[in-house]
Amino acid sequence: MDIVVLIGLDAFSYVLTLLLVTLGLVIIYGMMNVINMAHGELFMLGAYTVATLLASGVPFWICLLAAPIVVGLAGLLVEEFVIRHVYGRPIDTILATWGLSIAIKQMIIIVFGPAAVSIANPVPGSVNLMGVDYPAYRLVIMALAAALALATYLVIYRSTTGLQIRAVISNRAMAGSLGVNTRRMDRATFAVGSALAGVAGAIMSPMISVDPQMGVGFLIPAFLSVLVGGLNSLIGAVIGAGTIGGTTSILSANMAQADAQIIVFLLAIMIIRFVPQGLWKGFR
Amino acid sequence: MLLRLPILLSLAFGLLLLLAPLALDDWRLSQLAQLLTYGIFALSLSFIWGQVGILCFGQAIFFGTGAYVMALVTLGKLPWLGESQILGLLLATLAAGGVAFILGLFLFGGRGITGAHLAVVTLCAAVVIEIATGRWGFVGGYNGLRGVPPLTTPWPRDDIYLSGLETYFLIFAVLAAVYFLLLWLTRTPFGTLLAAIRSNEERTRFLGFDVTMAKLFAFFLSGMVAGLAGGLFAAQFGFVSPQLIGFALSTEVLIWVAVGGRGVLLAAVAGALLVRWGEDQLSDQIGQYWLLATGLLFIVIVVIAPRGLFGRILDLSPHRKS
Repeated sequence: MDIVVLIGLDAFSYVLTLLLVTLGLVIIYGMMNVINMAHGELFMLGAYTVATLLASGVPFWICLLAAPIVVGLAGLLVEEFVIRHVYGRPIDTILATWGLSIAIKQMIIIVFGPAAVSIANPVPGSVNLMGVDYPAYRLVIMALAAALALATYLVIYRSTTGLQIRAVISNRAMAGSLGVNTRRMDRATFAVGSALAGVAGAIMSPMISVDPQMGVGFLIPAFLSVLVGGLNSLIGAVIGAGTIGGTTSILSANMAQADAQIIVFLLAIMIIRFVPQGLWKGFR
Repeated sequence: MLLRLPILLSLAFGLLLLLAPLALDDWRLSQLAQLLTYGIFALSLSFIWGQVGILCFGQAIFFGTGAYVMALVTLGKLPWLGESQILGLLLATLAAGGVAFILGLFLFGGRGITGAHLAVVTLCAAVVIEIATGRWGFVGGYNGLRGVPPLTTPWPRDDIYLSGLETYFLIFAVLAAVYFLLLWLTRTPFGTLLAAIRSNEERTRFLGFDVTMAKLFAFFLSGMVAGLAGGLFAAQFGFVSPQLIGFALSTEVLIWVAVGGRGVLLAAVAGALLVRWGEDQLSDQIGQYWLLATGLLFIVIVVIAPRGLFGRILDLSPHRKS
């Protein structure tokens, strides 16, 4: 019983953090058809923001607030200098953002060196939950991730801005002629999507190895989640992250992590190949 | 006169490579021979991406398959096959082609997938195969296979190992043969069909062409070329490891080809030589800046100059009067 609770909690926390990264990708894709290969590096920038600020004596929770701001600003720059020039060329967005991901990674290596940076756990200790001792900080991660995902959902489906965003997604020209400033929307969406990745990186930073290669480790599962769930839909992102994150955690508990990864990736490839619309739209 | 400039430049490029041994010592020559092998690899991607328009993020799967097959055969891990190098290269080419064919069936068969879906699926396939290779003890696991014998002459003589110069000219000849084969192919009606698929797949299908078969054959061919490059690489480098079959090399070759110019075969080769040469020559410290510069250059090329650095000056296709 204990082991089931433990695996369940692990799966849940992985799914929630994956969901944060995935949400950013889905919003950016849905809004501007941009496939952002540099999303993993934005995640990494969030973690490095925390590392840098912590080293200069800023308390962890302030760092956590600073990360989305820093990464959001980085997103704005990226949008201005790269992304806006490749709108409407989906394949080129993949390539341009891939170049970006290499450039950001190299900059981090040049500034911080290739070695991993460690970040102290801000909430040490564990909590007894349903009969198992569970690391307290993981529970914090889950709460934060769930709150952020919920907030994103509310903004998109319950606010005026969200209404405009959805209008642009469903018909850009029409939304533009009705007075929505689509250019500003693009900019804002890309910044918010980046900020979500940044905050995810910041939240996760005490639990994982913060090094220049960390981006890819999150990018691929996040991408698979987006495509498995279905592009263009927030519910799809939840389903996708649930499928990928849940399967990975459950399998990892029973076998070597590399084997679990192989199985999950193969499963995802099958789903993407045979249900290219994604699970959410494909089976409705 | 201006129209013939690309032809002159292409010839000059070939001549430069042919005369390079005069100016280089043995060590540098073997380095250049390795770069030429990467050039063959770049040709395979340039063909499938630049000519047919299929953006494959897993091209190293075929290169790695070729390298591993070559290593397994020449190290005698497959005893019933003997240890012949020629057989090794042949099997490397065919095995990589086979893998490409199977992957191609999976990707293009039925309704098929294109664009971003195809890119992500091939990328994931490369990651899966890299991890699986690292877990497979028979092919050496994470450590790979060491001591792959260098290239030898097929006929007996005193020193059966090819000298640096002979290796160089062998690789150069293979590169030239593959280049002219692919160039010839783009000039045939089949090449025109591939170009049609690149510019509008749906319209080509409606015109009654079997697009799936054409793509499958092109993918198969591209896989074979990559496998041949992989086989040669294994013999030159003497060592194969899971990195050769995975994600990192797949994206690297993409950058070489894009920087050189994806639409022109020879430009892709030049791109591979330039980018790899920079990586090899510069020391660790500056090398980091070189990689940064490559990444930034790659962005600039994708955004504003899709023809790459050499795409325009080496473009052999007849100019249209417009």
